[in-house]
Amino acid sequence: MRSWAFQAGFEDRLLQSLRGDYRVLAPVRGTDGVVRLQPVRSWAELSPAGLPLIPLKKVVFPPHDVLWTLMEYEYREPAPSSVPVALVGIAPCDLYALAYLDLVFADDPHYQRRRQNLLLIGSNCRPTPECFCPPRREPPPFDLFLAADRLWVGSAWGAGLLTALQAELSSPGDLPLPAEITDGQQQVPENLEQLFTASAGLPLWREVGERCVSCGACSAVCPTCYCYEMSDEALPDGRVARRREWDNCFFRNHALVAGGQNFRPTRAERLRFRFEHKMLGFGALRGISACVGCGRCARACPVDIDISAVLAALAGGNKP
Amino acid sequence: MMVAFQPVPAVIEAIDKKVADNHLFTFRLSESISVAPGQFVELSIPGVGAFPVSTAAHPGGATFQACIRRAGRVTAALYRLDEGANVGIRGPFGQGFPLAAFAGRDVLLVAGGLGMAPLRALLQALLGERGRVGEIILLYGSREPDAILFRDELEGLAAAGTIKVRYSVDFATELPWSTDAYVCRIGLVTELLRDLRFAPAQTVAAVCGPPSLYGCVLEDLARLGIDPERIYATLERRMQCGVGQCCHCVTAGVFVCSQGPVFSLAELRRLPGSI
Ligand SMILES: Cc1cc2nc3c(=O)[nH]c(=O)nc-3n(C[C@H](O)[C@H](O)[C@H](O)COP(=O)(O)OP(=O)(O)OC[C@H]3O[C@@H](n4cnc5c(N)ncnc54)[C@H](O)[C@@H]3O)c2cc1C
Ligand code: SF4
Ligand code: SF4
Ligand code: FES
Repeated sequence: MRSWAFQAGFEDRLLQSLRGDYRVLAPVRGTDGVVRLQPVRSWAELSPAGLPLIPLKKVVFPPHDVLWTLMEYEYREPAPSSVPVALVGIAPCDLYALAYLDLVFADDPHYQRRRQNLLLIGSNCRPTPECFCPPRREPPPFDLFLAADRLWVGSAWGAGLLTALQAELSSPGDLPLPAEITDGQQQVPENLEQLFTASAGLPLWREVGERCVSCGACSAVCPTCYCYEMSDEALPDGRVARRREWDNCFFRNHALVAGGQNFRPTRAERLRFRFEHKMLGFGALRGISACVGCGRCARACPVDIDISAVLAALAGGNKP
Repeated sequence: MMVAFQPVPAVIEAIDKKVADNHLFTFRLSESISVAPGQFVELSIPGVGAFPVSTAAHPGGATFQACIRRAGRVTAALYRLDEGANVGIRGPFGQGFPLAAFAGRDVLLVAGGLGMAPLRALLQALLGERGRVGEIILLYGSREPDAILFRDELEGLAAAGTIKVRYSVDFATELPWSTDAYVCRIGLVTELLRDLRFAPAQTVAAVCGPPSLYGCVLEDLARLGIDPERIYATLERRMQCGVGQCCHCVTAGVFVCSQGPVFSLAELRRLPGSI
């Protein structure tokens, strides 16, 4: 992969060069201690260690979206914003999470419209003890990736950004990404599918699931959770809007149908469902883990439900 | 192809109110869509919401026909509309009944309640090429005689000798009808199987009804000797997107909306929790 070394201060000039054409967002730790994706002007504002609490899925798959509006007989799609967004300082796990959403929403016009307008500038992470990202064969998607004093170019779009900054780059080369990006922190058990199937009757699911208070925090903060609910709203101007909103498989009505039949009536079943989705995947994506091991869900859960502990227990470890 | 979230505009063309709370709606679409038996659409009542509903007729095209139960918020809103009202239809979604698997065989249809609606579409498709299948037997269980859907039509077909019809009802003060062509019993639809004369080895079965029906009927049919690969059922789940995105319908890792809703018993046995 094409790579260059850069000099001190390069990051800020890169930000500067983006400012006119992009809405530049990066993870920034607020005075309340929470890291958020927000507009930045200088590289020093970036939070080097913290992942944004609400991950970057919100940019391509907003928590509340309008799919269409209807006036009289005419359906209209909302006009897309034409200003591209540059996400800067994004950790590898969040880039891998975006790669997963790219698969899920490959045919979704609303997602794709925003995705095509998204510039990704990744940067190296600092793993914490809660990280359990799996090893990877492929690099994550990015346009540029910065690690220490080198950058890597992942796309023609990324290469184009550098033309004005060539003077600050030196020692070009064809170098692999730093190994820690693809090494991962923890291996996923190879026979997970069998372990999962065999676990159906284990008390594990009930014991852990019973604690859940269905607050929805785990899905909201998960970079690859994308369940959604659709609903209609009558707007004050007479139009009707069909909305798409983030949902949560821990909510009791997630699988409830008219007449009261619930296909996942217990918390144990809902925990098992979420675990299955994260670790094994659904439909055509079966076998591709959706969990990037970022540890957000465990940090956000008010009752300490930790998907990595459930994974460890299934693989024969201690009870979570 | 990109997912279409906008429905095709449609109007209510006719409402047949013969059976209370299970009206038969005919919609006229502004663009033809083709919904195969066993497939479904999302019917949208603008400003209220949308719900999944199977086609009750075949072929469709510029019209879409569905038998719809008043079951909750959005269906109740539909029941407040009259002929001429505007709605929207998205679809078709899912895998319907594999019609090729029926060719050259006898057909056993087992319906419970509203499950008759999708089976009526299947029946119409089979009757469209009557020569391609052998004997057609319909076993159809309802709560009471007044709840039987498409009754005139079914009895007409039975009287003409085109198909055999066996009804069952949960309650009836008396058994009001029975002829050579069709009989009615009090009890569950499963009881109709008990002394049924048919040739399991050359039969394809399609079952549609409430979840409680599947628990017993599907394995009963296999025990009688029908190949589990040729026993089909359609699953109900809370469906919204129809295209394998929103995740509400997932069962045993499978998107029922797009990989189903029609599955063979052989497949269902590999999907824990599906029946
Ligand atoms: C593949 C399929 C085919 C169906 N075919 C028919 C049919 O031919 N005729 C018929 O009357 N009914 C059919 N149903 C059931 C029908 O979809 C529900 O009765 C209907 O969704 C109830 O909506 P409601 O708003 O009135 O009920 P509420 O209970 O108020 O539901 C509110 C919302 O929950 C969701 N929901 C509730 N129940 C269901 C459900 N069973 N399936 C999916 N989503 C649900 C919907 O999004 C609905 O808008 C079918 C369901 C499926 C999955
Ligand atoms: S660790 Fe939790 S929040 Fe992070 S990707 Fe896995 S399931 Fe989602
Ligand atoms: S964060 Fe914890 S309590 Fe809240 S829904 Fe998720 S698992 Fe349940
Ligand atoms: S209905 Fe949305 S995934 Fe099946």
